[in-house]
Amino acid sequence: MADPLGIEELDQRISEVKTEIRKAVSAQDFAQASRLRTQLRALEAQWHGALELAESSVSGKPGNMQLPVRETVHQILTLLAVPAAPRTIVAVHAAFFAGELAGSQLTYLRRDEERSFRTAPHGRPYYLCSALTYDRLTAARGLIAVSSWPLHRRIVGTLSARVDYLRSAIKLAEHIDRTDRPSPAAQRLLWQVAAGIPNASASFGDARPASVIEAATAELSVHDDDDRVQREQAARRARKQLGDAEQLFGAPTLSAVRKAG
Amino acid sequence: MSTQLRLDALRGSGVIAKPHNARTIAALTRNPGCTRRAVMDAAGVDKDKTAAATGHPASIGKLSPLAVARGQGFEARVKSQGGAELLRLLRENLGLPIPQAHYLDLGGDDDSVIGGRYLRSRSALAASADSGPDAGTLFDHPMLRLQIAGVWVYLEPDMVAFRLEDKFYIIEIKSFAIVDGVADPGDVTRAAIQSSVYVLALRNLLADAGHDPNLVADQVILVCPKDFSNQPTAHFVDVRKQLTVLRRQLARMADIDRLLDSLPDGVTFDLAPDAHGLPTRSAADLAHALRSVEARYAPECLSACELALFCRHDAHDAHSTAALGRTVREELGGVDCTSTAVALGTGTLVPTDDLVQAAETLRAAHALRTAILGQLA
Repeated sequence: MADPLGIEELDQRISEVKTEIRKAVSAQDFAQASRLRTQLRALEAQWHGALELAESSVSGKPGNMQLPVRETVHQILTLLAVPAAPRTIVAVHAAFFAGELAGSQLTYLRRDEERSFRTAPHGRPYYLCSALTYDRLTAARGLIAVSSWPLHRRIVGTLSARVDYLRSAIKLAEHIDRTDRPSPAAQRLLWQVAAGIPNASASFGDARPASVIEAATAELSVHDDDDRVQREQAARRARKQLGDAEQLFGAPTLSAVRKAG
Repeated sequence: MSTQLRLDALRGSGVIAKPHNARTIAALTRNPGCTRRAVMDAAGVDKDKTAAATGHPASIGKLSPLAVARGQGFEARVKSQGGAELLRLLRENLGLPIPQAHYLDLGGDDDSVIGGRYLRSRSALAASADSGPDAGTLFDHPMLRLQIAGVWVYLEPDMVAFRLEDKFYIIEIKSFAIVDGVADPGDVTRAAIQSSVYVLALRNLLADAGHDPNLVADQVILVCPKDFSNQPTAHFVDVRKQLTVLRRQLARMADIDRLLDSLPDGVTFDLAPDAHGLPTRSAADLAHALRSVEARYAPECLSACELALFCRHDAHDAHSTAALGRTVREELGGVDCTSTAVALGTGTLVPTDDLVQAAETLRAAHALRTAILGQLA
């Protein structure tokens, strides 16, 4: 038997069928529209089923007290303290957390958060939101941030990717330093991160937290001032120009403006 | 009649020209002598559909999903976290100074604002060229453009423009391995041709912004997996030769009028599709139109041109010596047909003055063959 569709695939299929229904209605093909509606209802029933399954697999596994995806991502971002890409979040999860987290689970996270914010603004203690580009203040591609951070930390300037890499390396090293017996996965992650920082690891496959912190801090001191100026300027501009939702999820892109107009 | 109208007529009524990308532009340089290809590409004819309609469908440029996934995975890894891996490579191999760690993503998710994205790329790179090296190091996904047969073609390369001291370099990330410092020469050549398209386009962009185009180096940096690992390694590749070929071919396409003048009147590659997009034109009629434009088939075409199978069929039918490969064609300069070659080799045909050298080669080959077959018998 074929695998049942995943919730994302169902999402996509549902929106496809809706488009088809619209087309059928505007072409006055009501017989086709009615067939498609039946199909849509079946898909929606499947969607609810898949959602229940996903919920039970997160909370219901015996001996596995795994948090919902949203909470997990929030914890990881709090650990890193910088906006991060799904790829990084998944890698950190694999190193420090039990259970599975797949990149595909993060695909619709930010969109769902935005929807929730727009229906009931400030209804939650925090939102998983976007990082903003320093020049256009639009959502930076592929980065997830936390709404409770100061705005300038969510701005991505030209040096921010490097600065954030170094900051998160320091945070990771500190976290591992605090852990009694870090897992091999955590040590491997630390070494991978250290490999990208000059003088951070002594030999292949080996990195000590103290040397990573020292090396990252040294490089950070080179970039930090320039980066901060750029970020704070952009943050001031964002506060002046953007509404609450845009400050969290980015200024609308030109094409979105065109569509709305 | 204007050039554009003539090209539109070749393509057929109401058909939108097929857009170019770096791969198709690179393919133009593979067989610069082929008029058929130059004309069809200038007109933006869908060669894939044309080939299928003549009964010789080919599958060129269709990558396996596995290869695509591997390529994308490697590239994402190299570029992730502000190009952390890339910075490490550039620092270790090229001595990139530590303060130069700028990373600017010029890409966008939206195609509807291509012109705007080009302007954004142009202003970012021009600003960097204007000021010191601190104003930008890595520029990911810049939008570039090139003029092909009088039409601006926008290119969205999966590459990074990189500034070191006062030069800009193209960084091309490819997923074929470099084992012990050596990679497959075919792969390297293909990467070099593709990169040369970007070098030329980046030079145009800087010139467009009022800067010296020679700020862009004619060496590109190739980043590939090292040995059998997934660790990236970087090498310089010289693309001067590819740039020359590319410039020549683009100039030839810009001068497309001359090629069009040589075509018979009223020739068109219109497939006359019906309401379902299926061609209604007969294969024989279409083949006749294709044959009215001179082709220059070589076996290398099979990996670069959608029409290759059609041209090969024709070349075999005509007993063309070119179908045996470029080496044979060059050795037998002036002998176009295999039957002539056999006649010259066996001595049944007396060579004219210009064919004396080729005839000597052929006679020697024939003598060797007879001797060897004699021994075997």
